[in-house]
Amino acid sequence: MKHKILIIAGLALFFSVVTYIAHDLFSNSSVKYSKSNPYEYDIQHLNKFDSVSVSYNENLAFRPQMLEMHGVATDYSDRIYVAGNKFLEIFTKTGNLLKRIALDGNALCITIDPDKNILLGMEDRIEILDMDGKLKEKWEPVSQSSIITSISSDGKNVFVADAGLTSVYQYDISGKLIGHIGDKDPHRGIPGFVVPSPYFDLGISGINEFWVANPGRHLMEKFDFEGNLIKSWGITSMEIEGFCGCCNPSHFTILKDGSFVTSEKGIERVKIYTSEGKLKCVVALPQSFKEGTRGLDLCVDSKDRIIVLDPVKKMVRVFAPNIDSKNNN
Amino acid sequence: MPSRREFIAKCVRGGLLTGLVVLGGTLMLRPRRDDENCKFNFACGSCSLSDSCNQAEAVSLRSTVWQLDPSKCIQCGRCATACVITPSAVKCTHAYVMCGYCDLCGGYFKPETKTLTTAAENQLCPTNALKRKFIEDPFYEYTVDELLCIGCAKCVKGCDAFGNGSLQLQIRHNRCVNCNECSIARVCPSEAFSRVPANKPYLLNGFGTERLANDKTQQEG
Repeated sequence: MKHKILIIAGLALFFSVVTYIAHDLFSNSSVKYSKSNPYEYDIQHLNKFDSVSVSYNENLAFRPQMLEMHGVATDYSDRIYVAGNKFLEIFTKTGNLLKRIALDGNALCITIDPDKNILLGMEDRIEILDMDGKLKEKWEPVSQSSIITSISSDGKNVFVADAGLTSVYQYDISGKLIGHIGDKDPHRGIPGFVVPSPYFDLGISGINEFWVANPGRHLMEKFDFEGNLIKSWGITSMEIEGFCGCCNPSHFTILKDGSFVTSEKGIERVKIYTSEGKLKCVVALPQSFKEGTRGLDLCVDSKDRIIVLDPVKKMVRVFAPNIDSKNNN
Repeated sequence: MPSRREFIAKCVRGGLLTGLVVLGGTLMLRPRRDDENCKFNFACGSCSLSDSCNQAEAVSLRSTVWQLDPSKCIQCGRCATACVITPSAVKCTHAYVMCGYCDLCGGYFKPETKTLTTAAENQLCPTNALKRKFIEDPFYEYTVDELLCIGCAKCVKGCDAFGNGSLQLQIRHNRCVNCNECSIARVCPSEAFSRVPANKPYLLNGFGTERLANDKTQQEG
């Protein structure tokens, strides 16, 4: 009887060892080749804003006929201009193509000045075209390292944001360089621009004032034309109120009432802030864009429709306030 | 008619035999490193006898090595667990020329971090392999300690999503045993692994990374 128990116990021990070895062998491989992974870094939850209501609807979208597009602008009659690699396309406000102009290079940004000139930032230089697309002027590049990402003009002054050299240039309309604005100057209380990636936007907001997005500091900064820093606003946050990631906002534009429309990369979202920098409403959330979308250039038309250039979907997307938000306002 | 004792003895012998077969199979299937013995100084991990190795085949295999293409990589984390060596031969490589030297680095900090300090609870890297050093306001330099890096790609994904994508995964050839069939390539969901010429073994993605790739090649001789 005693022997029997010993034999049974021995056999049980032996089979448990064999089972353990087999389990170890096969369970290892099942972990190795399974779909789940303990090191997977899931960032999807950052793109969810369930409690946030969106105040705008996308009511028009059209596709320019170019593979690479970078800049969008509107003119006095709400025509929409899309600039990209080798081409500039002009559309009616309903998205019908009016004109296609061939360019000598890659246009990264565009603006239309009050004198009806088309100003293009062509990587390291500025080109000015008339409304027929005829080249009027070509300015000398500041540096071969320049990456001109934004341009704005009031008809007398031209401000240019250079992400390559992390500086803002002030030109007169003839192309004469007047000076640099916003460079680090502790004596004048200017912290300096931080531009980790090639997204660096600016825009004239009124007489003798313009705004620059300082993306590395998550700030919007207001300067006068003499280069004095007037004020700034912005907070760093993954939450809807702030600017996320290393460097945002990537683009902005200004509405008629002085509010700001901003776009971000990382967490793709378009929002409107009051002129004091308080979040007003949301235009579009990450679910409106493909993951990894960056370079959402913005402009507005005379009706305050928000025009978003989506370079990943390769579309111009037009957003207008939805009825509920209109009634609330 | 066999007695009960004989029957139990047969069972024990049968069980032992089965156990030996399982153990033998396990040992035979396990990948081995024979680089110490290989006369071609080539660690393919597929054979145990260097004398039976075909020189032409070895030279042919040696002329290409495995590498992953960062533009295809989706940072799934499998590189950390699927490699035949531990820790993985896949490491994070930093393309400094692309780095923004950001204070708020998406590759270094967890997304919800409140204070930008090097406290462990703020760090995304599970092994503290990514080091942060102050340069000047507001710039920080990030370096990868390859001895600690396990190739999990968390920092790569964070940098790609919220930064410039300067952190990229690469197979380090001073660790890779260059298996005939790369075990990570077998499970890679984006088919980012391929054989590349051994004299150009790095595939860094983005502007100005060619020089870094050459430096890495020279470091490894």
